[in-house]
Amino acid sequence: MSEKIILNPITRISGFMEIEVTVENRRIIDARTKGQMFRGFEMMLQGRAPLDAIYYTERICGICSTAHSLAATIALEQAFGVEPTIQGRYVRDFMHGCEFLQNHIRHFYQFTVPDFVKMPENYPLYQTNFRDFRLPKETNDVIVQHYFDSLPLSRSAHQLLALFGGKAPHNHGIFMGGTTASINADSIVKCQSILREIGDFIENVMIPDAGTLARYYPDYYENGTGYGNLLSFGCFDFYPELGTLYVEPSVSVDAAAGGAVRTLDPRRITEEIDYSWYTDSLDTYTPFETIPMDDQNKEGAYSFIKASKMENLSFESGPLARQWLSGEYRRGISTMDRYIARVMEAKKIHEILLVLLDQMIPGPTGQAPYLTPNAARGQGLTDTTRGALGHWIKIENSLLDFYQIITPSVWNLSSHGNDGTPGTAERALIGTELADEDRPSEIGRIIRSFDPCVSCATHVFYPNKEPKFITVVP
Amino acid sequence: MKMVWLELNGCSGNIISLLDGADPGFDYMISEMVELVYEHSLMSAEGEEALEHLFALMDQEFILAVEGAVPLKNGGRYQIVGNWQGRSITALEMIQLLGERARYVIAVGACASHGGVSAGRPNPSESVGIQSVLQRRVIQLPGCPCHPDWFLGTLAHLIYFGEPQLDEEGRPVFIYGTSIHRRCERRSYFDQGIFATQLGEPTCMFMLGCRGPMTTTDCPIRKWNERINWPVQANTNCIGCAQFGFPDVMEPFVRYFTLETDREGELVEVLEDE
Ligand code: SF4
Repeated sequence: MSEKIILNPITRISGFMEIEVTVENRRIIDARTKGQMFRGFEMMLQGRAPLDAIYYTERICGICSTAHSLAATIALEQAFGVEPTIQGRYVRDFMHGCEFLQNHIRHFYQFTVPDFVKMPENYPLYQTNFRDFRLPKETNDVIVQHYFDSLPLSRSAHQLLALFGGKAPHNHGIFMGGTTASINADSIVKCQSILREIGDFIENVMIPDAGTLARYYPDYYENGTGYGNLLSFGCFDFYPELGTLYVEPSVSVDAAAGGAVRTLDPRRITEEIDYSWYTDSLDTYTPFETIPMDDQNKEGAYSFIKASKMENLSFESGPLARQWLSGEYRRGISTMDRYIARVMEAKKIHEILLVLLDQMIPGPTGQAPYLTPNAARGQGLTDTTRGALGHWIKIENSLLDFYQIITPSVWNLSSHGNDGTPGTAERALIGTELADEDRPSEIGRIIRSFDPCVSCATHVFYPNKEPKFITVVP
Repeated sequence: MKMVWLELNGCSGNIISLLDGADPGFDYMISEMVELVYEHSLMSAEGEEALEHLFALMDQEFILAVEGAVPLKNGGRYQIVGNWQGRSITALEMIQLLGERARYVIAVGACASHGGVSAGRPNPSESVGIQSVLQRRVIQLPGCPCHPDWFLGTLAHLIYFGEPQLDEEGRPVFIYGTSIHRRCERRSYFDQGIFATQLGEPTCMFMLGCRGPMTTTDCPIRKWNERINWPVQANTNCIGCAQFGFPDVMEPFVRYFTLETDREGELVEVLEDE
């Protein structure tokens, strides 16, 4: 006998999502991740001035806005035929790295810790009926203190971003040709000083805290494994003099079973929409082909999040994928490995930022002059905090005519593929055994290991045959 | 006083911006200023238990801070904020339920105060600001995002002194009373007619489309992220993100001079056509 569990809202993620799982003998046998909001950026961007895409697309996401400004800029540079200056690239990649630090510190302490550590019970924001808290009181309370200690550090990471970008979130400094910011010695030394504090915290507090969670929750190395297909668009890579500091565009199919790491071919990317609320004459297409229209009345669909595919397969992207593909971390692929990889990546990014800072030379970074093309196209692919991000643009009559965006969370939170196979996080949920069906803490923990950002939207579909709703009162 | 921070259709950038606030920071706010009961991105509870926190508040006094717009398309079903006893609750239902009961309602950021980017043309989700669906006074804090000090300053005013003086559009005068242009650090360049022709230059951004003259906030003196910088200081123009009608009435954000080849094959500066 199977029953359905609905969890909504999934808190401590960016955006709105509902999880519906079917459970049989306490084991999840089917899962649906449903994005719950829709804004339609791709439609909004049509007809706007090309350069506006940089600031406009930032507003897709408040926690990873820098990523969108970067992807939009790279796409525009390709369309305009502009090479960013090398100093401009160092500065804007530095800004992007600051966003990683901000995100990873906040994700670990503000989003992850409350799942495994008992927060102060007398405070309403932190009250929960979860039961599965395993840390001894003393250890628990130390991490609670670190939760609050981390707040000034993620804030400082955003401050460094704003030092070059003007403000954060939604910076102004990343722009066509590199950056608008100038470099001064006082900025460089300020960055070094703040980075030292952040680095000390990552090394001496955050990594040990992650280790503590892993020690008390070793069973989370066993669940949330999913397909094990990993993908990255690359980031901090191909510098003319420095080479690749982190990871190049690459994929690995069934990585945990020894799948080889190969170069990624972006021509093999497709999206499928049979199970999402969009209609189009095509139900599978490459990014430049079409932008489907939203259609909430579509039969059989359940999510505003489409299904993205590479070589017709579902892929996971994000810190664990990058750490694995670059050879930095290969313990395994699971819920806990995702959490650990994110924390280890913070350390890696911190190191990269120091290298970039070393390359900066005081003065204006300079931007090459350029012509606005009448018609052109460009693609901006980069890995960002949460994974692989792509912007695909076409310019017609010097205006944006077409704008396709595939965000990291589309990879991770895909709806079913057209063949009915589950998306990446859905697959990661399936097979999980729930210790307590009335208070299923596993679902939220597995989902949050992907650091979801529901920047594309969804709304709940009521099937004709209403399932039996077991409402969860955790 | 209890407080609810409700996220609706937007990017969650205002809660992130709030976490970027310092002195007071987030921890000071929740321990000394208000008792935060509900915040989607930060609260421990999830699912129906999270909603219970909200519904337990119905007969109590609380401040409601809202970020994000309200999508009206398909009866509001373009955004679901929770599932209560098998029923999906739309953003529209939730804002109306809480908005009519709260002691004060604060619209934090562009989307909540007037639709913002979420309502950018052609407004595919038919999003509106929260004032459009509430029959009561809403304190408006436009900005993309809202500066943490704008919110925390308004909150302090509400707690210590009651409602601040608002202009006819509901904005606190002590924050939104003076244009950026009046207090801009590059004003002397403007007065002397020295204008940047490209982002990245150190002079007045007016010719590139600076919206400082029409945008009324204190960015030049308050700056952002612990007073470290602001868009003009980063060698870019103000794009008017804190003005009603952003983004559509502020487009194009940057009116760029570009170089084109004239008949003799020389490169000349041309102001890109709107
Ligand atoms: S940069 Fe903008 S706000 Fe500053 S003086 Fe020039 S026009 Fe005015």
